[in-house]
Amino acid sequence: MNIKSILSMTDFSALRSNWNQYQSSESQSLLPIGAPGVDKRLRGGIIQAGLHEFFGAAKADSHAAAAFALLLAWRLPESDAGIFWISGDKERRTSGRLYPYGLSAMGGNPSRILLVQTADLRDALRAAADAIRSKAASAVILETHGNARLVDLTSTRRLALAAAETGVLALLVRGDAVPMPSAASTRWRICSAPSVLLPGNTPGLPTFNISLLRHRGGTAPFEARVTWDHATRSFFDTPLSGGLSAPVTNTEAGPQQRFRA
Amino acid sequence: MVEKQRGAMRLTACDPAAHALGLSTGMALADARARVPDLAVFDHDAKADLSLLSWLADGCERYSPACMIDPPVGLLIDITGCTYRFGDDEVRLAKDLKRRLRRHGLTGQIALGSTPDSARAKARYGKSAINALPVEALDAGAKVHQALRRAGLKTLRDLACRPRKAFAARFGKATVVKLARLLEEEDPRIIPRRHLPIISVTQNFAEPLLRTNDVLASIEALAGDAAAQLNNRSQGGRRFEVTLFRSDGHIARLAVDTGTPTRDPALLMWLIRERIDALSDPLDPGFGYDLIQLNVPTADILLPSQAGLEAKVDRSAQTAALIDRLSVRLGSDRVRYFEERNSHIPERAVVECAAQVGQTPHNWPKAADAEPPMRPFRLFETPQRVEALASIPDGPPRQFRWRKSLHHIVAYEGPERIAAEWWRRKAGHEHGKGGPTRDYYRVEDSEGRRFWLFRHGLYSETDAPIWYLHGLFA
Repeated sequence: MNIKSILSMTDFSALRSNWNQYQSSESQSLLPIGAPGVDKRLRGGIIQAGLHEFFGAAKADSHAAAAFALLLAWRLPESDAGIFWISGDKERRTSGRLYPYGLSAMGGNPSRILLVQTADLRDALRAAADAIRSKAASAVILETHGNARLVDLTSTRRLALAAAETGVLALLVRGDAVPMPSAASTRWRICSAPSVLLPGNTPGLPTFNISLLRHRGGTAPFEARVTWDHATRSFFDTPLSGGLSAPVTNTEAGPQQRFRA
Repeated sequence: MVEKQRGAMRLTACDPAAHALGLSTGMALADARARVPDLAVFDHDAKADLSLLSWLADGCERYSPACMIDPPVGLLIDITGCTYRFGDDEVRLAKDLKRRLRRHGLTGQIALGSTPDSARAKARYGKSAINALPVEALDAGAKVHQALRRAGLKTLRDLACRPRKAFAARFGKATVVKLARLLEEEDPRIIPRRHLPIISVTQNFAEPLLRTNDVLASIEALAGDAAAQLNNRSQGGRRFEVTLFRSDGHIARLAVDTGTPTRDPALLMWLIRERIDALSDPLDPGFGYDLIQLNVPTADILLPSQAGLEAKVDRSAQTAALIDRLSVRLGSDRVRYFEERNSHIPERAVVECAAQVGQTPHNWPKAADAEPPMRPFRLFETPQRVEALASIPDGPPRQFRWRKSLHHIVAYEGPERIAAEWWRRKAGHEHGKGGPTRDYYRVEDSEGRRFWLFRHGLYSETDAPIWYLHGLFA
């Protein structure tokens, strides 16, 4: 048998599909956060067809993690596909229910949200997997509270694979939990940050301290402070000092300017 | 069986042995005891009788969907067009029913008639011909029966051949109508226990099915039949009910609801599998199912849709299918959309409605560009009580304690005053009776968390107003 016949026997199609896999991971569509400082570090944004985890920095920050996840879902272009919010009875008891007037005040359309409330986490994980697998959702947010053994490498891998297959943005909110190994593409720690106060010493726009803990693509962990602007439906960078003297670099009127006017 | 009737204990039911001893229903217990001293007597339990009857009626749905309980001891089944499984032979159906009753140790008097009344009378008096029935079959009261008997009219044959006008003049029109029904001249329909399904398909098995997979396969076949029928009618089912008749008389029912009309057997099977998975007690085939029935009680118009040439994802169909699936598994009240209500009290302004019912389009208020969110993104269903400290009465809070941690407030906005819904209260329009006013404050604490607090009541309304945390801002 000469080398030619061996070469002809080798299954090149398998090799090619392997190669394509690597290729496709490069060209996956990314969802930019909107804040240039963060997007630059993420090299464009987070993977849209993937699973992302959000931990609350402290017990009282669970709702900040939930809010950040929801705002990311609103970064997606508005379509007829809904946003699924899946949570259990326990989460609803501890952090309250979603309030549509507040959601619309943050620039989203509450009619797009479909609430799924389950009795326990097992049902919630199953519902999330179903929602991701079906093509009905553009984003699926699963909210959990406390250290749950059920949210492990296997269950997160299931969600991540489903998300990669259908292109759904899967967001896992983990309030009051310690990070454990998981199959998520990125892992974030979120907490509320002091907002840039408005005239009259009144609280300002939703502001978060976000820190990237882990990134499958190899981005080094970093910390940043971002503020949500509901008019443009995007985040913008905020200096960590949180002072009133935010430097305005853009020539066009940024949100900060608009608010001072 | 005895029951207290008009102050005396009387027999209400006797078994064949008692009849043989000369006892009959309606006899006083004392008289019966005098004849048969060692008489076994039990209290009559009307409720138990009725529940046995309804159990039997459930079982009889294997013959026809139209069954009716005829108290106290009767059961009417409308078998019109339902005898095809017995070779169009009513007698074979009756024999099958008798055999099944015997298996449960029950004896029944089964009679066939063209009208419910004639069947009932035949069964009650044990006659096979209407003409041979006594005049008591008219069930028109003792006086009428007595009058007829005095006139020498003892059986229905005597009545049937006489002009009706004279009867109507003497005994009233109701008696004549009753006679016509007995003589099968007029056919009143029975009122079935269940709403008659639009489509009903059944399959029975010579050998009972023991495996769940076989059951599912036969449900799938039935779903295909039902889909074909629905297709002919240009309809789609909104509710599907599967009834599994076990050979020992047990009946299992499964029902699935769909948000949109459907006739897709694959989708239906998907939902039914979900339903079986979600059962608290799994299906127990026991001795096996010998009859499976699929009913479609409600259906809506569903026109055939043409598939496009390009493989486009039909999002609304996908969403409806997913909502149905989750609703079947978790319960329809657990899959919800937001709905708006006309109220200015924050927690009353929004309700969540089952997604299967459908969503009404809303225009939620858009945020002003130059204004931070004025409403929290999460709201507590019951406001959380906090210990708050204000610098001046009726002023903003300085600090508050919630869930054991202290929050120092660095910025606030408010108050936003929301009055109570005084019109819901009795005498609410009078001064001081409208309920406490809420003063809402949007606050930010030293760590950067933003809250929505309110003081329940003004100092002019109450001495010691209580502070509550109502929502969390992002």
